[in-house]
Amino acid sequence: MELRINGQTYEVDEAYESGNLLWVLRDNLGLMGTRFGCGAGFCGSCTVHVDGVATRACMTAVQAVVGTEIRTIEGLASPEGELHPVQQAFIDKQVPQCAWCMSGQIMQAVAFLEETSNPTEEEIVEAMKENYCRCGCYVRIKDAVSTAADVMAQNKTTVGAA
Amino acid sequence: MSDPKTQSQRKWRVTRRGFLIGAGATGAALAIGVAVGRRPFYRFIAGMASGMSAENMAVGGLDNDPFTWIEILPDNEITIYISKVEMGQGVHTSIAQMAAEELGVRWDQLTIRQSGSLRGPNTNTGGSTSVSSTYVPVRQAAAMMREMLILKAAEKMGVPAADLEAKEAAIYVKANPNESMTYGEVVDDVTEWPEIDVETIELKPSSEFEFIGKSLPRVDFESKLTGTAIYGYDVQVEGMLYGAVARPPTIGATMQSARAGDAADMPGAVQVVIDEEARFAGVVARTRLQAQAAVRALDIEWDEGRLWQQEELEALLSFENERDGYTIQEDGDAASVIGDEPTVSAEYFTPFAAHAHLEPQAAMADVQADSVTIYCATQAQGTIQSEVSSLTGIEPENINVVPTYLGGGFGRRLNTEVANEAVRLSQAVGAPVHVGWFRVEDMRNGYFRPPTRSQMSARLENGRISAINHDHASGPVAFPFFPTPMQFVMGTDIGSWRGAFNFYQGIENRRFTTWLIDFPIRTGWWRGLGLLANVFATESFMDELAYTAQVDPLQFRLNHLGSDPFSERMRGVLMAAAAQAHWGEALPEGHAHGIACATDVDTVVAQVVELSLDETSGEIQIHKVTCAVDAGLFINPDGAIAQTEGAIIMGLSSTLIEEITVRNGAVEADNFGRYPLMTIDRTPEIEVILLESDGQPRGMGEPPMGPIAAAVGNAFFALTGTRLRRLPFKPEYVLEAVAS
Repeated sequence: MELRINGQTYEVDEAYESGNLLWVLRDNLGLMGTRFGCGAGFCGSCTVHVDGVATRACMTAVQAVVGTEIRTIEGLASPEGELHPVQQAFIDKQVPQCAWCMSGQIMQAVAFLEETSNPTEEEIVEAMKENYCRCGCYVRIKDAVSTAADVMAQNKTTVGAA
Repeated sequence: MSDPKTQSQRKWRVTRRGFLIGAGATGAALAIGVAVGRRPFYRFIAGMASGMSAENMAVGGLDNDPFTWIEILPDNEITIYISKVEMGQGVHTSIAQMAAEELGVRWDQLTIRQSGSLRGPNTNTGGSTSVSSTYVPVRQAAAMMREMLILKAAEKMGVPAADLEAKEAAIYVKANPNESMTYGEVVDDVTEWPEIDVETIELKPSSEFEFIGKSLPRVDFESKLTGTAIYGYDVQVEGMLYGAVARPPTIGATMQSARAGDAADMPGAVQVVIDEEARFAGVVARTRLQAQAAVRALDIEWDEGRLWQQEELEALLSFENERDGYTIQEDGDAASVIGDEPTVSAEYFTPFAAHAHLEPQAAMADVQADSVTIYCATQAQGTIQSEVSSLTGIEPENINVVPTYLGGGFGRRLNTEVANEAVRLSQAVGAPVHVGWFRVEDMRNGYFRPPTRSQMSARLENGRISAINHDHASGPVAFPFFPTPMQFVMGTDIGSWRGAFNFYQGIENRRFTTWLIDFPIRTGWWRGLGLLANVFATESFMDELAYTAQVDPLQFRLNHLGSDPFSERMRGVLMAAAAQAHWGEALPEGHAHGIACATDVDTVVAQVVELSLDETSGEIQIHKVTCAVDAGLFINPDGAIAQTEGAIIMGLSSTLIEEITVRNGAVEADNFGRYPLMTIDRTPEIEVILLESDGQPRGMGEPPMGPIAAAVGNAFFALTGTRLRRLPFKPEYVLEAVAS
């Protein structure tokens, strides 16, 4: 079994074929950035993109994502190491504390902002409300997602103008 | 992370003046370690090593092991190794800021790394003490290092030390800045270092601070936001297998017998590990899911014990108990002033609560014939080291505990049974084993914040409190982690009554007595210990008294504070929070304000909450929390604001949502479905005001949790005239309380 992750092809160990995507990413392929929090879809720590859609890896059978494009936190920065505007905004606003939930928060936010330009605060809250942060960084998450939205909108304009 | 197996255990010798010099080493690096003992005592350790980094230098035979090392290598690589663990509180950044202040370096010239237990085994991280306990010694160690470098450079350059200055990791000739040596060049090829008496070194005055008091960005964020930071659950080494352990079905269950059953034949199973005497049964398998599935195939007989119900557990919180109450505070004679007819009396209750750190417990252990390596998300590497030593018979100095980043701590990782489980399984199978708990294991097999009951009574005379009495019952917090003799010495559990001590010095007669209640379920450390629960009672009651006395709740508090420096600081935060929140001014229709204050680790905090109530659903909406904090001095103000915001959110989660309940002997919650946490859509605006009263840093991790529950309850009373005396304020309880 093969998976496409962050533009690369990975071979899945047979022992993991019947399980879910989370443990393939983490234990089999060593892509530890996708975090484990609850295993039941409550917390969002394991959020990845499957064909661009924010998806809970802990609830996703590996079988179901063969042939899709999977994107994880490791695939978000440019190959040259330039951070995604959402990652940069999370640093600029000094959002995280322990940061265990942050891969999920960021993947959730990126999928949302790729679909929605110029979101309102209500839309941001609605998009982010199923991602837990036990350290309580919510005030800053809201702020950073809003900032990232501005940056992404600006980038789009710049690209358009060029 | 370097491979711990390559770490040697070089012994150091202490010189006459208390330095420690690497034995037989030839000079190629300079490292200074600093330790803090029980009293404000510290020891400096200087050393040199050949081709090895300070991380590899073991310290043996010292009373106090260093918690921080500063190391300079000949290539001018400057590293600060910190044994305090990073669980989100930003301690690595804060300690590095303190060191940088005296070291003569630019911020970007520093590398900050976690150190393992071989160089700081006694360190715990918790209790909001990491900054306050290291503030002086870390700066002194850095200053001493700078002075040693200047003296050595003077010798090498042939220039008097007085003509030299240290900056940007180099020594410059003041009169001729073109003449300089980097720290690395100074360090290179040195075998003898001058010894300096630390008492002769003057530390920078705060007016010259470059790093302390600046909101420098956290040093750990890039790796955390790109997914490369390593936590306990992420550790992987060559040949590693996965382990899982059988869990009791009820809180009182004991294992009667354990057999392999079908577990050994389950897919991927490598070994079944059973130790009936230790009541331990687990399985090692190729994958995590295989290990978990195989554990379910074990044949285990449990005695489920008494099947406790929630109501029975709550009834244990009684003041008529085999163990006498312990009077902590007695000023004047509250009992006789109050007599049989208090002006006001009320009873408050708080429930069990879980830590619910988002990274479940996790550890990797590799047990060899005469050494053990453990990677663990822990707040207490020393505890792991001694427990694993007892378990394996291997000497502590051969047990290397490497703390990873922690996906939340909150006190739950001061005791990490998961490390022992990984050790047992690794020892049995002869390979490295990773054990990571599933959420249900974490939810049901940890220890909880204990429930509390507070009976408050007071007498009012002429609008003032003449006497107040607080009878308090709680499950243990600190005791379960101390040896029994120490419990006798201490008399009472300092954790369970934290935050309950009455600080209103204007009250003449004050009495506070605490009853320690044993529960058939483990209770223990939780962020702030008893702080949130106890201040809920004391500051809600203060509010009840204010309303009865018909005095504004802010004014009522101010009226009862003393006039010493502490009381002035408390007055300062109350006034600041109230002013910023426009206390006493009109609010939108259906909104109300509540105020409360608290102290913890000598930090003072006041909060004003603005809320409204959805009268149909019973849901309380928190609109804004205004919080003023005085921690004396803030090393990293933005970090302090982040801690305050986080503590308020976690505290609101406890206030509005969280409770652990027991039904038929088992913890009901199995995951976040039945133990939900605060989410972004319920998050209020939070405004934080930092006050620096006296330039002495105090703790920030826990204190801001203190007032929040009471401030919410007080605002709710202001809105509805109904007093909520039981946490959490769930909609059904709120509706019931309002209806009655």
